[in-house]
Amino acid sequence: MAVHECDVCIIGGGITAAMVAEKLAALRPSLSIIVVEAGKSLFDDDNRFEYRQRSLEYGENQWPGDFVADQAADGIISRTMAVGGSALHWGGVCNRFSEEDTRLKSLYGVGVDWPITWTDLEAHYCEAERRIGVSGEPGPLKEDARSEPYPMPPMPMTFNLVQLKAWAEKSGTPFWTTPQAKNTVNGYGGRSICLRCNTCEVCPTGARYSPDWTFKELLAARKIQLHDRTLVRRLELDERSTRVAVARAVRQDDSARQDEYRARTFVVASGYTWSPHLLLLSANSRFPTGLANRSDHVGRYMTGHLAYQTTIDADMKIYPGMNEQHSLISRRFFRCATDVPYVRHDLRIWESGGGRAPRLRAADGSLLLGDALLDDWRSRTARGTARVRGYFDVHPDRDSRLTLNPASTNRWGDPLPVVRHKIDAASEARQARTRTHFEQLFATLAKANDGRMGSVSGLAYQDHPAGGCRMGRNPTTSVVDSHGRTHDHENLFVVGAPTMPTGGCTNGTLTFVALALRSATAIAG
Amino acid sequence: MTRRTLLRWAAALAATWPLSSLKVLAYTRRQAVELTPGHTATLQAIAEVVLPTSLTKDEQHAVVTQFVTWVANYREGAEMGHGYGATRVRHTGPSPAATYPEQLAALEAAARAHGAVSLGALSVTARRAVVEAALTTPRPVTQLPARPSGANVIADFMGMFFNGPEGYNLAYRAAINREDCRGLDGSEQVPAPWPPRVGDR
Repeated sequence: MAVHECDVCIIGGGITAAMVAEKLAALRPSLSIIVVEAGKSLFDDDNRFEYRQRSLEYGENQWPGDFVADQAADGIISRTMAVGGSALHWGGVCNRFSEEDTRLKSLYGVGVDWPITWTDLEAHYCEAERRIGVSGEPGPLKEDARSEPYPMPPMPMTFNLVQLKAWAEKSGTPFWTTPQAKNTVNGYGGRSICLRCNTCEVCPTGARYSPDWTFKELLAARKIQLHDRTLVRRLELDERSTRVAVARAVRQDDSARQDEYRARTFVVASGYTWSPHLLLLSANSRFPTGLANRSDHVGRYMTGHLAYQTTIDADMKIYPGMNEQHSLISRRFFRCATDVPYVRHDLRIWESGGGRAPRLRAADGSLLLGDALLDDWRSRTARGTARVRGYFDVHPDRDSRLTLNPASTNRWGDPLPVVRHKIDAASEARQARTRTHFEQLFATLAKANDGRMGSVSGLAYQDHPAGGCRMGRNPTTSVVDSHGRTHDHENLFVVGAPTMPTGGCTNGTLTFVALALRSATAIAG
Repeated sequence: MTRRTLLRWAAALAATWPLSSLKVLAYTRRQAVELTPGHTATLQAIAEVVLPTSLTKDEQHAVVTQFVTWVANYREGAEMGHGYGATRVRHTGPSPAATYPEQLAALEAAARAHGAVSLGALSVTARRAVVEAALTTPRPVTQLPARPSGANVIADFMGMFFNGPEGYNLAYRAAINREDCRGLDGSEQVPAPWPPRVGDR
């Protein structure tokens, strides 16, 4: 058995682990930090162009080997398990939540309040934006006031977005560009400026932030140790206290080897699925339902947000493929008056080639070859298509759960997680009204411009999932405090997505990072 | 494509030609996935019918070369992208090109049934009839696949060109170059005109 001793053991190697490690190393340079990640390190930057090309031509994985075959959950969850985590693949969208998200109960009587003030969270948003490198423009709404400017100027609009903005704003709703963790300045964070490669899932230039960059820098400076391909299976307590003493792990490439991590502080940074999963797996005679689970809240209140979307055909010229990941956003609907039915959502617009792909057969079924195909195609390119989507706020039921499935185990016999989202009764009761709201909103956008709206469809799963170890002041109704410290174990922290009581109504990653950075301050002591 | 489907397809192709051609087609056997110079010549003959006439011979040839290169570099069993939020890891299947030799041979056989030594030797009008038959029977092909699927070599070939960046540039008459790393400068401007060429429509 290999025994590793350190001051801080971070379990997980995704974006929140990277941020906590980086901040701890800066605040307390003398700390010994070990990051333990179940998946591989994919540090082969030189191959990114080739991976991108294989992905474009053959649909191959842009991040080969970024998963562990027998470490899969039942439910909607990304398979990525590698150093960098899901943020290897992410699109880099860095929307903030709004103050309303932290005061839902007080303002609207729905969901719960977060145990953190907006002022406090906003300061950590600024720090998150600096650390990962966000380019953006301030929005026009006073409620979205910022205490610091964005670190980099906004990603320029493409010609398509210029057309879409002019088109969309005829409806009376203001739109601006979406902030993104992509360099618009060469050299920010030691990375390239964006070259508009149109494949953000694998950015071949490094312009889009991914956590492998942070880990490589920390390793090069010898500020951390990184143990990849190492799966932590259990946390064990000190015999005479409730402090966590040991993390027991196995090597993915050597199933006979057992590793033991001893640390003063343990940080579970394994995302919304694998964090509560580890706590539940770590049940013992003193905590028979899992560590940090005296409240019976570990694996409960799994959250996220739902969406409605449509396409709108309008009289504008769009050239599909100029920068398909770039988009417009309006935050106007992040706020909801208290005297109208509750609905909160973001509103995004992208260029789309929908309905304008080349076709082999004309409407009458006749074949189109060569020039006839091209003529038919060109006749359909005079107008353009907008893709429109709004994530909307729903709140989790107590039985929105992650549980262990004894019928499905990994090679070591550990039961794997099952995630079943369930929205609370109030969210369920709002569903029909919410759909009507979106149908009317999309129709208003279309009508303002003589556009034709397609069908409205809803998202079948909760996106940007979070929760499972929610934070709160009351130890009987939450798992961790506002800094991610578990109520039951003074040296055990959970950071990022799992700690969120509710999932907001826009992309979550920047919030996961901001909360993790706030935790890092407390961990540093 | 199953052997039965292939035979139905070949039979339909030859419907207007002597029955003896059907016997030739019936004996066509599946070959290893390797596109030979002969297959390339057949693809070139197809290209002249299914690609826009604004493409020069050299450009048509480049499209054929791209397709043949794609086939040669295909990897069976490779991990496929699972992306953000996807739950399943999938792998690429057998090469779509496994069916191509038979299909291309059937097209050549149809040309011979029409009295030509090869598909390329047929007039463009007659060649078009062969191509249309191959896209219509036994079941009409209705869409251009985003990536070659093996179901129909002509549709796969057309799909690779028209769904690719060159196809979009041509259709929009603009240098969108969607798979290139293009930089941010000038992205708010209309893409530059696609270089004018002789015969461009």
